Amino acid sequence: MKITFDNITIDITASGKSYLAAMGDEAVDVEILRAENGRLEFLIGGDRVTACVSSDNAKRWVTINGRTYLLTRQSGSRRSAGGHHHAAGELTAPMPGQVRAVNVSEGEAVAKGQTLMVLEAMKMEIRIQASQDGVVRKLFVSQGQTVEREQMLIDIK
Amino acid sequence: MFKKILIANRGEIAIRVMRACKELGIKTAAVYSDADKNSAHTQFADEAIHIGAASPKESYLNADVLIRAALSSKANAIHPGYGFLSENASFALAVESAKLTFIGPSADSIRAMGDKAESKIAMKKAGVPTVPGAEGLESFSEFERAAQKIGYPILVKASAGGGGKGMRIVWDANDLPEEIDSARREALHAFGDERLLIEKYIADAHHIEFQVFGDKHGHLVHLFERECSVQRRHQKIIEETPSPLLSQQLRKDMGEAAVRAAKAVNYDNAGTIEFIFNPSDSTFYFLEMNTRLQVEHPVTELTTGLDLVQWQIRVAAGEHFPYQQEQLTQRGHAIECRIYAEDPANGFLPSTGVLLQFIEPRGPGIRVDSGFRAGDTVTHFYDPMLAKLIVHAETRETAAKKMQAALREFVVHGVVTNIDFLQDVLAHPDFANGKVSTRWVETNFNWTPSSKPSFESLIAASLSDIVMPGSKSQVASSSEFDPYNPWKNPSGFRN
Repeated sequence: MKITFDNITIDITASGKSYLAAMGDEAVDVEILRAENGRLEFLIGGDRVTACVSSDNAKRWVTINGRTYLLTRQSGSRRSAGGHHHAAGELTAPMPGQVRAVNVSEGEAVAKGQTLMVLEAMKMEIRIQASQDGVVRKLFVSQGQTVEREQMLIDIK
Repeated sequence: MFKKILIANRGEIAIRVMRACKELGIKTAAVYSDADKNSAHTQFADEAIHIGAASPKESYLNADVLIRAALSSKANAIHPGYGFLSENASFALAVESAKLTFIGPSADSIRAMGDKAESKIAMKKAGVPTVPGAEGLESFSEFERAAQKIGYPILVKASAGGGGKGMRIVWDANDLPEEIDSARREALHAFGDERLLIEKYIADAHHIEFQVFGDKHGHLVHLFERECSVQRRHQKIIEETPSPLLSQQLRKDMGEAAVRAAKAVNYDNAGTIEFIFNPSDSTFYFLEMNTRLQVEHPVTELTTGLDLVQWQIRVAAGEHFPYQQEQLTQRGHAIECRIYAEDPANGFLPSTGVLLQFIEPRGPGIRVDSGFRAGDTVTHFYDPMLAKLIVHAETRETAAKKMQAALREFVVHGVVTNIDFLQDVLAHPDFANGKVSTRWVETNFNWTPSSKPSFESLIAASLSDIVMPGSKSQVASSSEFDPYNPWKNPSGFRN
């Protein structure tokens, strides 16, 4: 079967005692030695690999040799990387937090780089700056409001 | 000695203090906010008291509620940990007024050192070198004039501050207005005090601090230095002792200056004198004093063999600190890495979520002070530090190797962490050569994670989807029943 993570497709086929894993023109024999909750031991061409793996919806966290990779699994039909797509002037919260200050109002003209609002999370200030020149079409949040990651903050037209 | 201590903090430091209490035979009371109902520290204590909503202002910063909790649980003393109310003189005073013992210095010492401007004046008087700067500024034009006189770049700092909050480097007069506004806001929110001071910014500076320790009978010593120059956003991420930069003579000079500084404010209990160290001419300047237990206290504990938290409790109860300066020595080298839930590839933005896996390293010379377990939630309400990983070895070189090996064993899934980043800092020749200054991460390192996932990691993720329980994927196979899927294997394979 074909499994795609972050636009890289791996083809896994059961073959006798082991699996065959192919990526592009690279193909290796893989034999699973042990699989328990969150932990996987397997042989790749005879070399033992121990991996910690966790799943959270489409996300896969994989740690091998002390390096951690965060992969996103894509279903066959969707080719985009799974993140939300926003129009150019729509700014979203980069992290969950609280709106500390809103410096502009709807209808106001803004310049690229201007600080539009300030978020605070974990006692740190993050400035939300205009990505382009334009006019504030809509403000989605107000001062003091708690926002989630990716929540829409402001739309610049 | 105290019968029961209330720990007015959360996370790893609350647990650290509780361990010391248990070893001394003292009962412990934990406090928790709505967000911490099931946190590790509440279960580690003999009892746990709910103190309010998740927002720190309504719980861990609420002095009245904390004191009421201590009284109702019949505790005799409060340990504030670090952060929150640990350096709040009014809190220390209120605790004493309620006939409880504040485990830390006197309210007067906290007040004297807590205000950066006032403490600088006191230090000048005590003959401790300080950085050129200006205090007590109010109007913007006063700031402008003072900055001009000192010369850019300058550092804007919160008078009441610490931990990099409200701190800004200003390179150019044009940026001064916005930076001052923003620093004021951050200072007001973090400390309830918007006063700022400015000082000369020393490039390539190292941050070297001295642990001091005193009892209530006028005896005060230093417990050597900690080199804390690996920082991001003005916050420490790696600390070690001894510093690779100090000669015996410098160590002696700085240690004596630290003792002078602490004695100038009649200090007792654990405290830290922070110095800015200029490696080009080996000059050092008093930066500030942290009038509390420091996050990085374990490296001092490992090399001196002292349990600082136990001694904090014992001297607060009136015991003498029994060691003279010349009796104190360090053995070997210790390094601490702060494991943060943050994304080093994305401006060190904090990362929140549920910890899907949390596997701490173990082994000789490895200590982990942590407040999290797998299944816990990392929220945006509090500091994103997950754990402190501390190692102790014979030399700096072997300690760095031990730390790298330990970091490789540390597995955290569910939030992005700085573990890979820390490994690369430790492996960098600048770290090996002791050349890391406080702005090195931002100006020299420019870290990027390995851009492409390895073939092995993709195979692991694919196999996991195929064989792990709950997986919906099925591999095409010649037979309907896959005899090699370990989850369907009836033998003792999984044992």
